[in-house]
Amino acid sequence: MGIDKERPASPVRVNAGGFALPGTSKANHTGSWRLERPLYATSPSPCHGACPAHEEIPVYLDHLAMDRPRQAWEALVAANPLPAVTGRVCPHPCETSCHRGSYDRALSIHSAERFLGDLALREGWSYPGLDGEPREEAVAVVGAGPAGLSCAYHLRRAGYRVTLFEALPEAGGTCRIIPDYRLPEEILSREVERILATGIDFRPGQKLGRDISLEELEEGFSAVFLAPGRQKNRSYSVDHALPGDLHHGLDLLREWRNVGSLPRWERAVVVGGGNTAVDLARTLLRTGSREVHVVTDEELPGRPSPTGRGTMPAIAREVAMALEEGVRIHTGRRIGRLILREDRVIAVELLHALKEMEGEAPVHRAFTGTETILETDAVIPAVGQEVDPAGIGRLLRNRPFLSLIPTGQVEGERRIFAGGDASPGGGLVSQAVGSGHHGARRIDAFLRQKELSLESPPSPIPFTSLNLAYFVERPAYEPRELPVAARTGFSEIESTAPADLIRTEADRCFSCGHCLECDNCWTLCPDGAVLRTAGIPGIPVPYVFDYDYCKGCGLCARECPSGHIRMSPEP
Amino acid sequence: MSSQPSVDTTALRKLQPRFSGIESGHGACQGCGQALAARLVLEAAGPDVIVANATGCLEIFTTPWPQSAWNVPWIHSLFENVAAVAAGIEVALRAQGRTTRVLAFAGDGGTFDIGFQALSGMLERNHDVLFVCFDNEAYMNTGIQRSGSTPHGAWTNTSPAGRVRQGKRHFKKDLLTIISAHGIPYAATASVAYPSDLRAKVRRALDVSGPSFLLLHSPCPLGWGHDSAQTISVDRLAVETGLFPILEMERGKVVSSMKIRNPRPVREYALPQFRFRHLLMDTPEAREELEHLQALADANIERYDLLSEAPGPRDSGGADTVRRGGSRWG
Amino acid sequence: MRDVLEGSQAIARAVALCRPQVVAAYPITPQTHIVEALARLIADGLLEAELVSVESEFSAASVVLGAASAGSRSYTASASQGILLMSEVLYNISGLRVPVVLTCANRAVSSPVSIWNDHQDSMSVRDSGWIQLYCADNQEAVDTTIQAFRISERTELPVMVCVDGFTLTHTLEPIDLPEAGQVDAFLPPFRFSRSLSSARPLTQGTLVSPEFFTEMRSLQHGAFDLAEQEILAADRDFGALVGRDSGGLLRVEGDREATVGILAMGSVYGTLKDAHRSGLLGRPVRLLCLRAFRPFPSRAIREASEGLSDLIVLDRSLSPGSGGIVAHEIRSALYGSGRAPRIVNFVVGLGGRNVPGEIFQEMLEALEKDPPAFSIFDLDPEKLPLSKDPVLPTS
Repeated sequence: MGIDKERPASPVRVNAGGFALPGTSKANHTGSWRLERPLYATSPSPCHGACPAHEEIPVYLDHLAMDRPRQAWEALVAANPLPAVTGRVCPHPCETSCHRGSYDRALSIHSAERFLGDLALREGWSYPGLDGEPREEAVAVVGAGPAGLSCAYHLRRAGYRVTLFEALPEAGGTCRIIPDYRLPEEILSREVERILATGIDFRPGQKLGRDISLEELEEGFSAVFLAPGRQKNRSYSVDHALPGDLHHGLDLLREWRNVGSLPRWERAVVVGGGNTAVDLARTLLRTGSREVHVVTDEELPGRPSPTGRGTMPAIAREVAMALEEGVRIHTGRRIGRLILREDRVIAVELLHALKEMEGEAPVHRAFTGTETILETDAVIPAVGQEVDPAGIGRLLRNRPFLSLIPTGQVEGERRIFAGGDASPGGGLVSQAVGSGHHGARRIDAFLRQKELSLESPPSPIPFTSLNLAYFVERPAYEPRELPVAARTGFSEIESTAPADLIRTEADRCFSCGHCLECDNCWTLCPDGAVLRTAGIPGIPVPYVFDYDYCKGCGLCARECPSGHIRMSPEP
Repeated sequence: MSSQPSVDTTALRKLQPRFSGIESGHGACQGCGQALAARLVLEAAGPDVIVANATGCLEIFTTPWPQSAWNVPWIHSLFENVAAVAAGIEVALRAQGRTTRVLAFAGDGGTFDIGFQALSGMLERNHDVLFVCFDNEAYMNTGIQRSGSTPHGAWTNTSPAGRVRQGKRHFKKDLLTIISAHGIPYAATASVAYPSDLRAKVRRALDVSGPSFLLLHSPCPLGWGHDSAQTISVDRLAVETGLFPILEMERGKVVSSMKIRNPRPVREYALPQFRFRHLLMDTPEAREELEHLQALADANIERYDLLSEAPGPRDSGGADTVRRGGSRWG
Repeated sequence: MRDVLEGSQAIARAVALCRPQVVAAYPITPQTHIVEALARLIADGLLEAELVSVESEFSAASVVLGAASAGSRSYTASASQGILLMSEVLYNISGLRVPVVLTCANRAVSSPVSIWNDHQDSMSVRDSGWIQLYCADNQEAVDTTIQAFRISERTELPVMVCVDGFTLTHTLEPIDLPEAGQVDAFLPPFRFSRSLSSARPLTQGTLVSPEFFTEMRSLQHGAFDLAEQEILAADRDFGALVGRDSGGLLRVEGDREATVGILAMGSVYGTLKDAHRSGLLGRPVRLLCLRAFRPFPSRAIREASEGLSDLIVLDRSLSPGSGGIVAHEIRSALYGSGRAPRIVNFVVGLGGRNVPGEIFQEMLEALEKDPPAFSIFDLDPEKLPLSKDPVLPTS
């Protein structure tokens, strides 16, 4: 009959007219065509990469933009328990790295962080994530500054019992001495209280080395986290001379905070280029000094140096405000000589100077022939702090910081961990918070005998991975600040954003590397191989790929505005 | 290796918040602009439609018997008669008192050329049919041959570029002007790069009583010679160069246009496409043809006043702006 | 209701009795009066249908395809060039198995240009998969048209009712038009099994690969067996209502015992029958009127040819380079049967040339003179050029 005997028997029978039934194309699994497949892959955003506290910024901005402030705050405090503090005092490197800055204006992330922090305080929200499985181990944390508080908080979230030792009567660490115009004390206190209220056993007035010893801690606890900060003023002298009434900058700020008054100087010179120096200078102006100078051998932030000088480590906007308020900053200068009369300073001699790094050590050079005289009633050094070796001397091993190994322990130790300003890479509150979180994770891994991945995190998503065709330029939120004329007292200079404005601002976020739930992939797939799962119970992601039909054309990845889709070779 | 949770896709497909007129599993090339456009049209039109489809890529890749990707009633007759078949369906539905809408689908071949007569007759007789032309600017199904819609200078297998020729000699037929001369209530162009706009136009066309016409620019990665992932970005350039104006016409009068926010030179559009690559060569002939193509684009911009004075939400920069949480896709 | 009507008018009234919802047509002589008559009936509210005056025959066939596919009884008519222009659609309609009725007002096909009657148009599309029924007179045209709708809808095959242009379409005859009630009793409301509907979406007109094409085509061919039965049933059932038959597949009349037969299709059969009745034939002749050309009723033809020694087959069309088309198929049907008659094929009446009653006696006489198997019987050699070479104009 002419039938091809090699053909397999066909189960399909023809019909009159040759019609086909709807949707029967699904029998054709076109996914077999693929050479590469799309994956929904969250990549770190640059802001997350830059944030020392490793906040999941696009996640909480998304919640905020979608009018879910509670979820936003809960996502934020999964990393950082002190957002109202950091939202005020952090120099926000997130904003500098924000990709939106290469498009129109960087997002005012700190405004969002601050808004959420303040809202949570106002609403009395408690931290989520504290109802996990309790663990039997107890951990000691030494130092109730932001690093210790963060470590204690994250350990509580992991279920551990935590005892927090603090030398001073109050928790808060160096944050306490930040002036009110930057950080109102009440804000700090309430956030600190909230952390302590997570069930931390707080022991104030217990100084390591005086009231408790390392050995006692090692004996009484499964692990120890040291965050003593840098309590010792770096010594300062000018050619071995010192004014008789020497006050260090940090001590004066502490005095202002605790006592509420400062010695009266008509004119003052503050030595140093950090936040302490700048804060003190601005405080002195507010408490009655007529003329306040800051002397630093570095350059103003944001000003490129012709001779390769370093930059003042103080936060740029604080320096700018200081200048606005009338602080006179002498950059690239050192004090060459104190001009004393009967042990009191009446003037200083300034010289052009340079600070260079030779390897790890700074070298200071001053150039004769450039001397000028500056009259003053006080010279106040604010030249940095060092780790106080009391109680931890053997751990320091003659180094300026506690050196850590990759698994988080202090070098040479098994159960003693450390972080904050006492370990390398500190200096910011947000760094301290991140350091405390980091330490808590390492302690948890140690106690569970769990392997922790020590790989460096993937690089943040580059600007070129975004598809800007899907965004339009929008006006940015500008935080309101008190005009200079109004900054006579200690009222906060910057205001918290209003809810509607911060929501709009949060919506400007590109969500770099994260899903915007914009529906682009779902809309643009020619093969209907993207299924929308947003809002379907039990499925934690908003879209999935149907790999039975995805041909790997790559359109979804190309048209994802936030670079959340990656093409990967077919396994 | 997959980073997504394991899901029951069959159940999920029933929960999709959109109507799926074309099912997955069809045989379109990777990145096919026409498959995407057809899917978008049916999403906007909904299930109560009857589709008459001309011969062409869309028809071929959706109906290899016994499989069909169509979830709507669908009939394919021949290459040149889809407008007439659709007219017949429409007349029958009217006689039976049914309100199901009739759509005619055709490529540029079945619209500009071989199907033109039937289309003109259908428009003239005022049938209540939405005619959708998926314009990929050549006869693609038969292997990339030039059509009346192929742009000037484009390479195809019957208008190749060589030593003495620089691609298609003739111009892209100004179909929209011809359609508008029929005085029908609604005619528009749209692009797959602007899916919200495309869907809005489908709805607007179906709202109209009487014949309506949509010309949808649908890139063909195979025939245009670009990467399958570039379908949208290439078509955005088609719009932003002015080569494919996005317009709406009512009774022959242009009532709206998508302004170009940031006009792009034709060279940028030519670069990713093999069919225009010969225009980028460093020869006097190539330069002249590229300039000619640029002049044609500029003429479009001038004719339809396509430059925007100020950025707006419906111009070429704003019309595809995403909104967090979806639902921008109206 | 008995009336004297022009053929076209009668056909139009027959169509109207069948209540089509959609009529589509493009005018071409000699079909125009049919469509114009339908237009008047619609304008006067006597027919509730949509008349789509399309811009070509291609669209006429396409519109009725679409309309029938969408569930409406649909009708069109054409001739000659129009049939050829729509031929692609005719194949398509049949392959899609969509029921449609078309009147072919048979006319010669250009070139040479002619508006007059022969069968070249319908013969040219004999392979398109349409049922083709030829009418000997206008009463048959009316009855066959009505039967055609039922046959089409039961077989899901389209039906072409062939009516000789001018000879039938433009001549007046007394016609018995059935009553509406009779037609309604015979022809139920239109129901198409694969009607386009969003309630039950189907995909029609798919691409069929070599793996299945043969079986699809075979199914279509097999439907013509059902068609034979439906043609006979329609004639019988309609005949019972109106008291007359339309000729079934093939009518045998005249001298049934004769050993010489003449087979004809269409109106020339009427001339033949008149000539027989008037005694012009001069001898006993069995008369065969072939009504169904598709399906080709081979068995009926073999039965009708039993006992014939000679059969003259008349063709009203010509396959250049081959000969008469009907005769070829008759010969095929009778081949191998030991008792098959000698077949002599005469082509007559091309391009509307009149076929007078006297010609049949000449044909019968020619039978005795060893005629060729095929010839154009009414060819006038005086009109042929003198030499075989083409005659070119001088200077």
